[in-house]
Amino acid sequence: MAVTSPLFNVLWDEYIIWSLIVGTFTFGWLYHHSFAYRSTEGEELPNVDEIKVGVFPKHNDDLRLEVAWTVLPFLLIIYLTYISWAPLDHVWAAPGSDTRGDECLLGESSNNIFYADTGFVNSECYHVIEITGQQWFWSFDCNPDLDEEFTTRDYNLSADLCAVSSQMVEGYGMQPVINLKAGETYLLVMESEDVTHAPWFLELSTKEDVLQNQKTTMWLPMTETGESLILCTEYCGDAHSLMAAVVSVHN
Amino acid sequence: MSGHDEEHHHPSAWGPHDWSHGAPHNSWAPLIMSVGFGIFLFMLAGAFTNGIFDASYVPLVFVGLLVSLFGLIIWWRQDMSFDGSYEPMATGAPFKNIQIRKVSIWVFLMSEMMVFTSLFSTYIRYRTGIENCQTVFERGDWVEQGYTLEAGEALICFEPASHLIASSMWHIAPGAINTFALIISSFTIVQALRWAKKPLGTVDEEVRRKRVYRYLGSTWILAIIFLALKMTEWFIGFYVPEIEILGIHEHHIHSLYSEGYLINADHYHHHDWVDEATGATMLADISVSASTFYVTTGTHGVHVFGGIIGLTYMTFKAWTGGYTPTNAVSIEYFGLYWHFVDLVWVLVFPFFYLY
Amino acid sequence: MNREKIVSRTLVIFAILLIGMIAVPSATSLPNGVAGVKDSGCNCHGAVTSDSVIPTLEGLPEIYNYSEVYILNLGFTGGPSDPANINQGGFNLWVSDGTISPVDATVQSWNPNEVSHTDAGNDQTSWTMEWTAPANDRNVEFILHTNSVNGNAGSSEGGTSGDEWNRLSIQVSSPIVVLEQANPFTVLTTLIVVSFVLLLLVLTFIFYQNNPESFDWEHFAPWIAGWLTTTDHKRVGTLYFLAGFFFLGIGGIMAILIRIQLMVPGNDFLTQDQYNQFFTLHGTTMIFLAAMPLINGVANWMVPLQIGAPDLALPRLNAMSFWLQPVGAFLIFTGVFSGTGADTGWTGYAPYIVSETAHVGTTMWVAGQILLVASSTLTGINFLTTIAVMRAPGMGWMQMPLFTWSILVANLMLFLSIPAFGVGLIQVYLDRVIGTAFYDAASGGDPLLWSHLFWYFGHPEVYVVIVPAFGIISEVVATSARRSVFGYRSMVYAMAGIGIVSFIVYGHHMFTSGMDPTLRFVTMLTTMLVAVPTGIKIFNWLMTMNGGSLVYRTHTLWALGFLVTFTLGGISGMFFPSMAMDLHLHESYFVVAHFHYVLVGGTVFGLFCGVYYWFPKMTGKMLSEKLGVLHFLTAFITYNGLFWPMHRLGVVGMARRHHTYFISVDEVRGVNGEVITEAVVGALPPEVAGWNMFITISAILFFFSNFILIANVIISLIRGDKAPADPWGGWSFEWMTSSPPPTPSFGRFENGEWHDLPTLADANEHIAHEPSRFAIWFNKLMVADKEEVEN
Repeated sequence: MAVTSPLFNVLWDEYIIWSLIVGTFTFGWLYHHSFAYRSTEGEELPNVDEIKVGVFPKHNDDLRLEVAWTVLPFLLIIYLTYISWAPLDHVWAAPGSDTRGDECLLGESSNNIFYADTGFVNSECYHVIEITGQQWFWSFDCNPDLDEEFTTRDYNLSADLCAVSSQMVEGYGMQPVINLKAGETYLLVMESEDVTHAPWFLELSTKEDVLQNQKTTMWLPMTETGESLILCTEYCGDAHSLMAAVVSVHN
Repeated sequence: MSGHDEEHHHPSAWGPHDWSHGAPHNSWAPLIMSVGFGIFLFMLAGAFTNGIFDASYVPLVFVGLLVSLFGLIIWWRQDMSFDGSYEPMATGAPFKNIQIRKVSIWVFLMSEMMVFTSLFSTYIRYRTGIENCQTVFERGDWVEQGYTLEAGEALICFEPASHLIASSMWHIAPGAINTFALIISSFTIVQALRWAKKPLGTVDEEVRRKRVYRYLGSTWILAIIFLALKMTEWFIGFYVPEIEILGIHEHHIHSLYSEGYLINADHYHHHDWVDEATGATMLADISVSASTFYVTTGTHGVHVFGGIIGLTYMTFKAWTGGYTPTNAVSIEYFGLYWHFVDLVWVLVFPFFYLY
Repeated sequence: MNREKIVSRTLVIFAILLIGMIAVPSATSLPNGVAGVKDSGCNCHGAVTSDSVIPTLEGLPEIYNYSEVYILNLGFTGGPSDPANINQGGFNLWVSDGTISPVDATVQSWNPNEVSHTDAGNDQTSWTMEWTAPANDRNVEFILHTNSVNGNAGSSEGGTSGDEWNRLSIQVSSPIVVLEQANPFTVLTTLIVVSFVLLLLVLTFIFYQNNPESFDWEHFAPWIAGWLTTTDHKRVGTLYFLAGFFFLGIGGIMAILIRIQLMVPGNDFLTQDQYNQFFTLHGTTMIFLAAMPLINGVANWMVPLQIGAPDLALPRLNAMSFWLQPVGAFLIFTGVFSGTGADTGWTGYAPYIVSETAHVGTTMWVAGQILLVASSTLTGINFLTTIAVMRAPGMGWMQMPLFTWSILVANLMLFLSIPAFGVGLIQVYLDRVIGTAFYDAASGGDPLLWSHLFWYFGHPEVYVVIVPAFGIISEVVATSARRSVFGYRSMVYAMAGIGIVSFIVYGHHMFTSGMDPTLRFVTMLTTMLVAVPTGIKIFNWLMTMNGGSLVYRTHTLWALGFLVTFTLGGISGMFFPSMAMDLHLHESYFVVAHFHYVLVGGTVFGLFCGVYYWFPKMTGKMLSEKLGVLHFLTAFITYNGLFWPMHRLGVVGMARRHHTYFISVDEVRGVNGEVITEAVVGALPPEVAGWNMFITISAILFFFSNFILIANVIISLIRGDKAPADPWGGWSFEWMTSSPPPTPSFGRFENGEWHDLPTLADANEHIAHEPSRFAIWFNKLMVADKEEVEN
């Protein structure tokens, strides 16, 4: 898989362009003024604003410029917020919406559609699986026992759709693996047995905290095959760094 | 050291201070008080760990408090000679000609408001987020779910202290008396100020001295009553004798402690929570409710205690005749703080004791 | 009793108390590895270590031979296991060097250094395996955990309650003796003690330099006592500088130790446990013990001078604010010295912070923080009052220097937000000490409550540390360019705007917290918004140079450097409110890069700038420009080398607060084209290792480059040129006083009143400030005792 998800990349690229524009403008201005306005008069300097000890100097302002660089950045901010809105809606799509559909019935598939220009993934339906965090390991459950609020599924997912195994991972040792299918969308329901953790699905560019006595959720729309590391990204104690897992996506 | 006439007696960093020089340049009080607080917190953590008590640290806790008190006494020694000759006034708009220390008290009260806001936020979050125990009891499904005293399983619910305290007039009496005590004490402090401020010549100095220290003393006594009744309510309980004329039967008002309303109460049951049909008693984990109650009302109590410490100093100073019209405004500074404490109580009492 | 006797006895008493505090064992330690995890990462069933379980490990030599294979037999006796149980025992064996391999199906390998039992091997109490000794000289340590299973069939794992376990550690020497690897805590403690001793020596030396004829206790004691009891804002400011720079160095040392650990993948210089304590302490030290005191130092020095006041409003309280800091620092560090310091991160999230797995020193961390909260609250009250009431005649609100404005805004934010943190800390302290249940999820406690209370403070806090830097930069850019700051009014409104908006953006730290999505969305909008006032300020500074005559001094360079690094930090910060990106970037090194750009590149560079700018005023000596430029160039370049690559590291998946990381090796093929090592999952791209090494080297260089400043300070104190009253051509009141200023700073106190305070004139057309209608109304509201003077 690529280092980051397409959805992230789309936003990232746009932001980088604007960062370069703003940065070039600002640093160009700084560079220019640092040289253009160097003092050349030695120590006898012009005193444009009547600077004198004990006297509040003359105001140095220009309303048009100040309005300009209040309004223009504000417009840029509005634009950046605007382009961040849709991805947000997508990431937080509610179950039952057009983006995600309802929970899959037996035999149904999500049939993910991937839109390369936005990075969005639409699914016809989704499967519910569970991840539990505890000090200091993850465990997956393909057929969790959850309230109706999360799932009304009355059958077990086939091994093709979801399977749990373990694998030796470089440096981390033996870690649990969740095997998922490309083209399917999963709703990950999460809880912690003790303190707060957070699984970061690196190449899927998504994470959410797992809390004790509360359930949180996250969407995992799978498009590509490959493997991705899952790291714990909410400090949880001694072996926080080694609390890893793997998501392996196959066809 | 620079800028002073070398022949002048340097005010001592231990006190007393000559206020014609302005505010103290040097004082041992800040350093010693800081060290004292550090020792106190360190030893308190040693005395308790996760609720387990280790008595050997208790003397050291008192060492910390004594060191702080020692530092405070140095502060007071410097202040005792304060006679109002140095009471700087604000120069900047919009506070022109108001005492600087008065402005600082108001600013301080703003931060204190934030403290109590945070405590109230905690209370509101838990009170609205966790279901009320009485509601759960009346719903009745706890019997099948196995949350009974016999089974030993406790369910999580919110038991407000008012359920115990507001259950009878006698039970609420200490709290009600406390409310009046604080309100009256706000009145007595204003009276103390009034008498101290009376211009020279309009009142006999001995009369002024007596009035001021008696009003301050009364405030002190009322504050003590407040804490004493609170401790009774929390830990001791009291006994109501038989008074036939008024139709009062002899009975005992239980303290919160004896009712089991504790911060670690995870096996709590109210005597009313008995299911008529099965005779089972509902068992609840009310640690969160008790924690918010004791810590919020306790924080207020600590502020009252701080006031008592201040009042001790002030009553003593008044007894020596230390308050004259020129420095009477110092009583007002305390009065502002005291009114704030009173106001917080007026909010705490209904929210925690009645509702 | 004369003065010195009192002083020396008091000092002796303090010394005894301090030693007593160190010697008294800290609160009862909980048994190690409450959840069974130790350095080796063992997950043992059961919670309690028990002496009745006796682990044994046989087959090891005292001195190994290179690459020899040893057959090991390990096992245990005692504990509740019983031959009749289905499961009897388990173990985890970790070795620091060499490799262990199973010989049968009862043992499995986690990785070459660590083995444990299999399901099949659960039914016995002894196991056999092989250990291959290293081919070189190492100090080898074996750590064995054995678990005696009581066989209760209640749970699916075959019974884990009632199990008892114990731990055994065995050292094996190499043929040639190798030096012990340094314990990082010993290193840190030694460095702290050495630095502190050096500081004391330097102070003593300064005293000697100033009083060569009277270098004896009779003169030294009053001098020290004068410093310990001072309430003069200038001295308290100096104390803050000393404390702040000292802890900046300590925090830097911790950073270096962290960077050494991260220098190469899979490093074991710091164990996980130690690393967790180090990053907690680094963050706490830098923010609360370095940044805040340094800002308070500049503020204490400069605010009364700039507003023309003789001192702060409440001098003794000011001293109290200061002394609470070292006491708080001491409490925080007691945990460290005992090796069980707080390991919660500086953010101290619940429920970990109240769980039993958090270290014992966490309680002391909380206690120290409570004192620091008190200190900051008192500081806030003092500065707000001072600025509100003690401004010189002629100085209305809109005639204050921008540095004073920045301190006003910062303190307003600080003292309104820190009580929430204080309440949270008290809740945690009580939870850990007397056992309240605020964050006990089993009783209904909510970890998000802590997050809200903490970040309600935490976000304004980071603006508290940057806004004074804004103030310093405003002063320096204006003075360097020989102009007044462009857009004074909008600068004030921008700072005020930042101050207000900072309270409603804190949810952006909780985007992945499970908080209500609506709140997350609202804070996304407000966070995006807060970039606007910040941008206004940057453009105003740039415009200030327009039409000016830039005189380049060291402080000018630092100000321009600030403009570069803070802008970069601000731009990188804009990536986070776009929540879909935050889901990836949260808790990665991208965050570390961003906040170090704004905290170091913003606050610290701003403070350095302020030091160079105001040093002549504070000490009466000029700093060396040559050393200053050298400091700037080396620090600026190495700083960027240190933090810039972290942006990339974060995006490719390096997580923060992880004690190590692993990289993938590319496929390695043998001579016949067969694959020897496959590219493995669970690893970051190989470039990550190279960048980390580069960052570590930059870090070490950056750390040492700052000693140039220390050297500059010491040299100039000893033999710097005498500084005039106004070396740079500033206009504010501090430049009116001598260098250093007298005490009291302005005016004289006579007959109960202050005389000869300065008056501010105004070069602008309108007459000296008249109170506004609002000011008059507000004044009437407050029932002044004295008659109002219609002015």
